[in-house]
Amino acid sequence: MSCTVSVSLAGPDERAQAFRIHNRLAGVPPSESILNSMEADIIDGDELDAARTAMTNKHFYTVTLKNFAAPWTNREQSVFVPLNDYTALVIGMVKDSGTVPFTDILSADLLYVRAGAGLPSANSNAYYEALEQAMLAPTFNPQTELVASTQSAAYGIPVNATAGAMTTRAASEAFFIAGTNRAMFRFTLMNHMCTDLEGVHDTTIVPDRIRQDVSRSPGGDSRVFLNNCIGCHAGMDPLAQAFAYYNFDETAARLLYSPGTVVSKYFNNDTTFEDGFVTPDDAWSNYWRQGQNASLGWSSSLPGSGSGAKSLGEELAASDAFAQCQVTKVFRNVCLRSPVDQPDRTQITAMTANFRAGNAYNLREVFAQSAVYCMDE
Amino acid sequence: MSTVEMQAMTQKIRQPLDVPAAVRRRSLVCLGAVLALGLTACAGGGADTEVNPGGGGGSVSNYTGPAPATADVQSFKINLYDNIRSNNRCGACHSVEGGQSPMFARGDDVNLAYAEVNGVVNLISPVDSLMVQRVGNAHNCWLTNDSVCADIMTTWITNWAGDLVAGGGRTIELEAPALKDPGASRHFPDDTALFAATVYPVLTDFCSGCHASDANFVQSPFFAENGSMEAVAVAYEAVKPKIDLDDPAASRLVVRLREEFHNCWTMSCANDATAMENEIIAFANGVPIDPVDPLLVTSKASTLYEGTIASGGNRYEANVIALYEFKAGQGNTAFDTSGVEPAMNLTISGAVEWFGGWGLNFSGGKAQASTVASAKLQDMILATGEYSIEAWIAPGNVVQEDARIVSYSAGPDARNLNLGQTMYNYDFFNRSDASDANGNPQLSTPDAAEILQATLQHVVATFDPVAGRSIYVNGVLVANQDPAPGGSLADWDDTFAFVLGNEVSGDRIWQGVIRLVAVHNRVLTEPQILQNFEAGVGEKFFVLFGVEHLINVPDSYIVFEASQFDTYAYLFRNPFFISLDDSVQADGIDLEGLRIGINGQEVTVGQAYANLDTAISALNYDPLTGQLLAQLGTVVPLEAGPESDEFFLTFDLLGGNSYSRPAPVTPPPAVPQDLPPASNIGVRTFDEINATLATLTGVNPAGTGISTKFGTVRQSLPTVENIETFLSSHQMAVAQLAIEYCSALMENTTLRDNVFPGFPFGSNVATAYPASQDLLLDPLLDKVLGAVSSLPSQPERATAKTELEQLINGIPGDSERLGLADGGGPASRTVTIAKATCAALLGSAAMLVQ
Repeated sequence: MSCTVSVSLAGPDERAQAFRIHNRLAGVPPSESILNSMEADIIDGDELDAARTAMTNKHFYTVTLKNFAAPWTNREQSVFVPLNDYTALVIGMVKDSGTVPFTDILSADLLYVRAGAGLPSANSNAYYEALEQAMLAPTFNPQTELVASTQSAAYGIPVNATAGAMTTRAASEAFFIAGTNRAMFRFTLMNHMCTDLEGVHDTTIVPDRIRQDVSRSPGGDSRVFLNNCIGCHAGMDPLAQAFAYYNFDETAARLLYSPGTVVSKYFNNDTTFEDGFVTPDDAWSNYWRQGQNASLGWSSSLPGSGSGAKSLGEELAASDAFAQCQVTKVFRNVCLRSPVDQPDRTQITAMTANFRAGNAYNLREVFAQSAVYCMDE
Repeated sequence: MSTVEMQAMTQKIRQPLDVPAAVRRRSLVCLGAVLALGLTACAGGGADTEVNPGGGGGSVSNYTGPAPATADVQSFKINLYDNIRSNNRCGACHSVEGGQSPMFARGDDVNLAYAEVNGVVNLISPVDSLMVQRVGNAHNCWLTNDSVCADIMTTWITNWAGDLVAGGGRTIELEAPALKDPGASRHFPDDTALFAATVYPVLTDFCSGCHASDANFVQSPFFAENGSMEAVAVAYEAVKPKIDLDDPAASRLVVRLREEFHNCWTMSCANDATAMENEIIAFANGVPIDPVDPLLVTSKASTLYEGTIASGGNRYEANVIALYEFKAGQGNTAFDTSGVEPAMNLTISGAVEWFGGWGLNFSGGKAQASTVASAKLQDMILATGEYSIEAWIAPGNVVQEDARIVSYSAGPDARNLNLGQTMYNYDFFNRSDASDANGNPQLSTPDAAEILQATLQHVVATFDPVAGRSIYVNGVLVANQDPAPGGSLADWDDTFAFVLGNEVSGDRIWQGVIRLVAVHNRVLTEPQILQNFEAGVGEKFFVLFGVEHLINVPDSYIVFEASQFDTYAYLFRNPFFISLDDSVQADGIDLEGLRIGINGQEVTVGQAYANLDTAISALNYDPLTGQLLAQLGTVVPLEAGPESDEFFLTFDLLGGNSYSRPAPVTPPPAVPQDLPPASNIGVRTFDEINATLATLTGVNPAGTGISTKFGTVRQSLPTVENIETFLSSHQMAVAQLAIEYCSALMENTTLRDNVFPGFPFGSNVATAYPASQDLLLDPLLDKVLGAVSSLPSQPERATAKTELEQLINGIPGDSERLGLADGGGPASRTVTIAKATCAALLGSAAMLVQ
């Protein structure tokens, strides 16, 4: 993949740049030989190769990427959670960048497992906690020891019910547990579109799909609904309908999928507003394709509606917002700061274009480009 | 018509109707004709302006006339006749003594009165009775509020009608409204300036004695709130429902003065009304008229009150002994409209406001009955030994605790009954011989279930002398595990007072809205509770929007069930298409994109039918019930109030009429703003620190000592790279981990010899330091600084080395600051000094900053 990102070599010398690139990507300082190799690449004007060299360090996967993804996998957004299948999925997809587009993160029947260790259980995270311990070994090699498998094989859910990270066991346990399944949508929005619901608040959206459990007069004041609640629920509820067949069974400690049967949580508090929408199936519609939220850049090649989580994931991942979000997250992770000025924003735009080029969605290259951009700082 | 004939007619009318659908047309045509005749006969007599003596003090002698001839006459007697024949009610005029025909309140013969009364009651729809209409229109109401008299009269007639109304499948006849086009109209501007310059001064000059929150006689709404700009805003919001910008003379502010002589400030109410009207005209003239977009495909228009009344008569109230529906909408009294004497009216005090669509909004005040009137509860509940408290309420929040919603008590520590709130729970206290004098222990809804929500809920608390207490919410039993089941109520104290929204002592504030309260002296059964829940609360209408002009189907309408949802919105639900012409069979009418308009403009929020895409077809259309278009409801904002807000519908497609609706505009993205410059460097985070120390030392991080130490300090290490969030506690954790790694390194002879080749770990201190210390320091600095000398965020190698040398050997010339090697020592101390030197560098910013 070619990169059009321009890099200035003014400032610190090439060895220092190489040292910084390695620290930012792998989280650890380089060995003497690696540093020499990277320095040579930079002197030759091939800074991206230097960055790619840094990413061969196992800590890029076992430390940097693990902690990059860990907060996405729980409601508390804590990084102090054991390795799980969601985190491993992100690590594996970045490892296989170039052959696995990162857009699959929300739709694929994909799971990363430890080579030779069988498949994880549907009702326990022990497999991944053991993998996390194994990752500490100096000899652990992510390239060979982390291999692709499928959720359908490991967890026994139908292929068409799999939806990448959203149907991992970790995400299910965090976001399909109890509640109304809106949490899965909200956290996916936050983690992969880089906006909370306030960012897509639009009171002009047709509210015909807002469920019965949303009070139209909270505390006896309908202004609260008409000015606030409706702005999020009108768009969210028709999208979150995609999860109508999913539930995390706390007793069995696993994700359950009930095709054709809407889970009972969609009818919680159905007397709060009896005239609200009664969910009949898992058909979703994207009302954000019109109005202010059209600015999220929805794909014109997709219909904007469908059934189930997989097609919803494809809809989200094909948006401009998804691509820009992934790039911005990587920028923050590597440069240790948010984009602050026009040069930063221009860099984000350029990296986003590269990320999407040819639908490759190669997130590992975004890490490399970000590290090169920030190597002079 | 003879008495016999009238009885026969009444019996015929009282046959339950077999009408399955909620809505039916012209099913009561014959009855309507009978009532029309009765109305004509009655309207010919009677004085409209006589003022009866005040209620409550009238005298009525025991009935000594002939016995009721039939069971129905007996029912009439006990439910209606005995309530109206006193000389402070209808009996003053409509009796032999009063000489006013019809003599339905004559005291000499209940059978003759019965014959007279049938012309002025409608037993199938009591609210439509002529008696109700007359008393509700200022005809000798015995209370201070005509609508309350109408409600009470309705209750009495309803009780007489019995099953015919309560459970008989009540039918509703849709009444075709006068057809009118949606009119261009004025809308209240957001800016209060025009109001402040016109109407507001009159209000503050002449109405602030009551209609302000700081008035001597506080009376909501506070449209005369006086003082700051905020006060003007409060007044503006409160006055909107009282002003009709399109017809100033019809404004409630004007009508109250001109026609109801309400607290005029001069000797001439007409002049005062004109003064008020002129200010409203001045206000209205400053507001531009918003025309209806001529491109829209619109229905005919209607107001809420031009619709057909849809509510009433469906509640189960056979044993109600107190009822509050809060229909008055103003004043300081909430009337008990149960019709059961004595009326237990509530006096409103403190922070309580009337709630649009019937109700009271409590935010610190209370509504309390006198102890004398409240004794009715004690008397009538003890007679049965059981009761039910029923309420439609919307708690203001889910954080209030020990808040009293409905109480019959003397204070915080003494109560006969109480329905209260503790966060997400409803609490039900009842005093019996199984409880203490405060009703403890209470029955509460389950803690984890979060039954109570800050939204409108139907709550019923029942007490059964055997089974004990139960709580139902929205028709569902949610609590019945009574910790003190059953018992006798004989200990109830009749000196207590009935109160809503607070304790009688005023120190148990409940925040929220109460829209209905009923006390029954029987346990309501589950079907009865469900019936009352399904009946809903508030005034509902079928609003008909004519569409004949669009589709050429005679008498065709799209009908919504509509009501005022709360103070700020309307509820529209379940639209259906119907033609009032029985002969019509509608078919082949496409309908897309239905929207609701108010006062000439489409509503911008709440358009739940905008995605409607259906067709009216012969397959789905029933000439009797029409065709349901959507099983869905929505709320839309209230503008000027239900009396004047004019609704209409628009369509993207209806029949052959279409509107090409432009796509919603996508606003341009916001121009990004530069953020403050951020630090270009940061610190390593916990796992990075662990991995870095492992990389630098070559120690296996999975080793027992290391992994244990890392597990201990992991969450004390930095979790984010932002260097500005680095704390001293982070440094302590870094130091501990660095010491652990350096210790493991120096204790492993193979590892240390590989990392520090040639350094004499086996020599004593004096031999190793300073002579061989470069063999220790240089490899350390190479690893940590990466042999990089020009990285601005890294320490200078030479400076760092000097610091380490001084750590080992002390500061030259400073006898107070000795080094670790000063004083010498055996080989073991050589290793210890190496550990310390290693930890000093690995635990420093040289390692930490990236």
